[in-house]
Amino acid sequence: MNWRNETVFVSGATGFIGGRVCERMMQAGVPKVRALVHEMHRAARIARMPVELCPGDLLVRESLRRALGEAKVVIHCGLGPASSIVRGTENMLAAAHAAGVKRFIHVSTAAIYGITPPPGSETEDAPLRRTGDAYCDNKAAAEKVVLHYGKRGLPVAILRPSIVWGPYSAWSTRLMDDLREGHVAFIEGGHGACNTTYVDNLIDAMVLGLENDRALNQAFFITDGERVSWGDFIRAHMALMEPTPEVREISRAEIAASRGRSSGLVVGSMKAAARVARSKEFRQMLMQIPLTEAAMKKAWNWVGSLPPEKRERLRARFGVRRAAAKPANAKFIPDAVTEATQSTTVFFSIEKARQVLGYEPRVRFAEGMRRVEQWLRYAAYL
Amino acid sequence: MTEPIRLAILGCGAITRSEHIPAVCAHPGVCLVALVDTDLPRANLLIQNRGLRCKAVADYREVLGQVDAVLNALPNHLHVSSNMDCLRAGAHVLCEKPLAITAADARSCTEFAEEKKLVLAVGMNRRFAASHSLLKIAMQEGLLGSIQDYDFEYGGAFDWRSASGFYFDRTKAGGGALVDFGVHMLDSVIDWFGPVTSFEYQDDDWGSGIEANLLLDLKHAARFGEIPGHLRISRTFGLKNRVLVRGSAASAEISVHDPEVVVIHRAIGGAPVSQTLQLEKSPSGSSYWRQLDNFIHSIANHSQPEVDGWQAVGVLELIESCYAHKRRIAEPWAESGAESGTETGTTSATPGGTSNGEARR
Repeated sequence: MNWRNETVFVSGATGFIGGRVCERMMQAGVPKVRALVHEMHRAARIARMPVELCPGDLLVRESLRRALGEAKVVIHCGLGPASSIVRGTENMLAAAHAAGVKRFIHVSTAAIYGITPPPGSETEDAPLRRTGDAYCDNKAAAEKVVLHYGKRGLPVAILRPSIVWGPYSAWSTRLMDDLREGHVAFIEGGHGACNTTYVDNLIDAMVLGLENDRALNQAFFITDGERVSWGDFIRAHMALMEPTPEVREISRAEIAASRGRSSGLVVGSMKAAARVARSKEFRQMLMQIPLTEAAMKKAWNWVGSLPPEKRERLRARFGVRRAAAKPANAKFIPDAVTEATQSTTVFFSIEKARQVLGYEPRVRFAEGMRRVEQWLRYAAYL
Repeated sequence: MTEPIRLAILGCGAITRSEHIPAVCAHPGVCLVALVDTDLPRANLLIQNRGLRCKAVADYREVLGQVDAVLNALPNHLHVSSNMDCLRAGAHVLCEKPLAITAADARSCTEFAEEKKLVLAVGMNRRFAASHSLLKIAMQEGLLGSIQDYDFEYGGAFDWRSASGFYFDRTKAGGGALVDFGVHMLDSVIDWFGPVTSFEYQDDDWGSGIEANLLLDLKHAARFGEIPGHLRISRTFGLKNRVLVRGSAASAEISVHDPEVVVIHRAIGGAPVSQTLQLEKSPSGSSYWRQLDNFIHSIANHSQPEVDGWQAVGVLELIESCYAHKRRIAEPWAESGAESGTETGTTSATPGGTSNGEARR
C-alpha cells in the first residue's frame, strides 16, 4: 500500500520507539501523524513536531475510536502494564478493524520466547511455550490476538525486535548510569547474545511491512543482523566514558552462590525497590500526593540548610546529580533479570525478514554507536 | 491595621494547588473570596480539601466588583483578556507568567493598568528567592572580582501535569520551553546583568512551535560591562539545573533546587574551597508568599511591584526576537535515519528594536 499518502496513527507515541516512529513519519512527509497520548506531560519529544496529540487510553476502547480518527495506517508500539498488554492490543485492533484500517503493524518482541530464549528459538517457526514472565507471556498472547484479527480481515503484520536501542533508549542511558555506579559486570565473559535492533532498522522494517503484502499475517524477527554480544555492547559504552570505568567479570556460578548466601528473592526485591525509589518517575508520582509534596518541600529546605559538601553527597546518593564514575564494585551482583537477559545464547535469524520483506539492516552496530554517542553528548550524558 | 485585600484566584490548576493557595492562606493581609474555574467541581473539591472559606465560581466576571485584586493563574492564552476585564473592573492583578502570548498584548495590558492606576504584577517567583538578591549583592560588592560570563541550565523530563494540557498548543502556550521556563531564566539574567545586546538562539522545534530543547547565547551590557552568557533548557533530559557565574576572583553557583543559598567557589592558597552565602535570618514564606506580599505591599503603598508589566514586556520582546531568528539545533542522529533528509537551518541573527529584555516605558 502507499502509506505515504495516509494519516498514520502511532500508539505508544510518547515512548522511545513510538517517538522515533513519529519523527520518521514526519521526515517521510506523510500528510498527518496522529499520536496516541495517555499522559500528556510525557509528550514533550513529539510535541515539537506538528503531530496531532490524541488523548486516549489503550484500556478504553471508545477513546481509541476517537483518537484513531481518519487514520488508515496503525503502528502499534503501545504497551502499558504487562497485565494489560493483551487487552490494550485487542482494543487497538478492534478500533482499527471498525475504522477500516488498511494496515496494522504490531510491534511485538523476540522476548515472547522468554528473557533467556532456549536454543532452537532462532527462527520464527519455533514453538512458543509459557515462560512464567508476565511481559513475555502477555506479548506472546497479544500476537495470537493480532493473528485472530488478521483472519477477520484486518491487514496485520507482526515485528519481533529484540534489544531496541538508539538515541533516547534506556538500554544506553541506564547502562551509562550503571557504569558510573559500578553496577555492571560481564556475566560469563560477556559472551551472551545481545541481539541489538537499532531503532531506525526496526522502523525500516515497519515501512517494509506497510509496503509489502507478503508481510500480512506473518511475524518477523528484526535485529541488526550482527552477532553483537553483551560484552561488545557494554564495552562500546565504556569506551565513551572518561575515565573508562572498570567492569569485573562474574560467572553464573558466583551469582548463584551469592544468591545462596542471601535469599535471591529478598535481595532482588530490595534492589528493585531501591532502583524504583531512586527513579525520577517514582519521585514525580510521589509529588502528586499533597502530603508527600509538602514533606518533600520540607526535605528540600532541610537539604538547603546543610553545608555544600553534605548536599553534594546527598545529591550523588539519590541521583539528583550524576556522580563521577566509581571504581568497579567487587560486591556487585547482577539482578536476576539482568543475568537472564545477558545469558542468552540465541542469535535470532532475520532471514525470513530478508527473504519476505527485503529487509536489510541499514545501520550497522558501529554506526549505531556513533549516533548514540552523538546523542549522549547532546543529552549531557557524556 | 488596614483591611485585608479581597482576592480571587482565577484557575485551579497545578500551580494554584501547589503554590498559590498555601501562600494566600498564610498571608494575613489577604482574604480569599473566590476560586474561579470553568471546572466548578474541581474548584469546589479544592475548597473542600484545603478547608477554605471562599466560594467557587465558574466565571471570573461573577466576582468582579466584589474583590480588590485577582491572582491570574489561567492558561497563558487567557491571561490578556481576563487581565483587561479585571483591570477594567478596578481590580489589581498579579498574573502568572507569561503576562501574555505576545509582547504587543503584554504592552497593551501594562499601559491599561497604568492608565487605570492599578497594580499589575507578574508572577516571577524566582526573583523572590533569597539567592537571587544575594547573587546580585555579591556581584555588586565585588565578591567575584570582575564578572566574566555565566552558564544557566535547566532540564529534566517534562512533568507539568496541567489539567488543560495547554502547554503543547502553540496558540495557547505561546511557545515551548523558552516561554515556559525560559521567561524565568531571562528575567533573572536581565535583572542581574542588564539588557541583552545580541543573541544566538537555537531550538529543536520540528514545526509545531513547541520546542523541547533550546540553546541561547546572550550578551548583556550594563553595570558589569559586556557579559556573555549561555542558557540551555531541556524538557527531555536532565541538565545541571544551576546558574554558574564566573568572575576573576571567584565563581558563584545557585542550584535551582536550593533557591535560598549561593555557593561561592574560589581558591585559597591554591586549594579550591566553597563558601555558602545564606541569610542568617531566613526570609518568611515561600517565594510565592513573598511575591504575594510584594503585590499586597504595592497595592497598599501605591508603589511599583518588584516585577511589573514593563519587565515582562521586555522579556517577551526578546523571546519573540529569538523565535523570529531561530536556527534548528543539529540532530545528526535523527536526520541520518530518515527516508528523506530534512534540513537544519544555520542562519544567524541579532535582536533589534526593544527586543533586548528592556521595554520602553
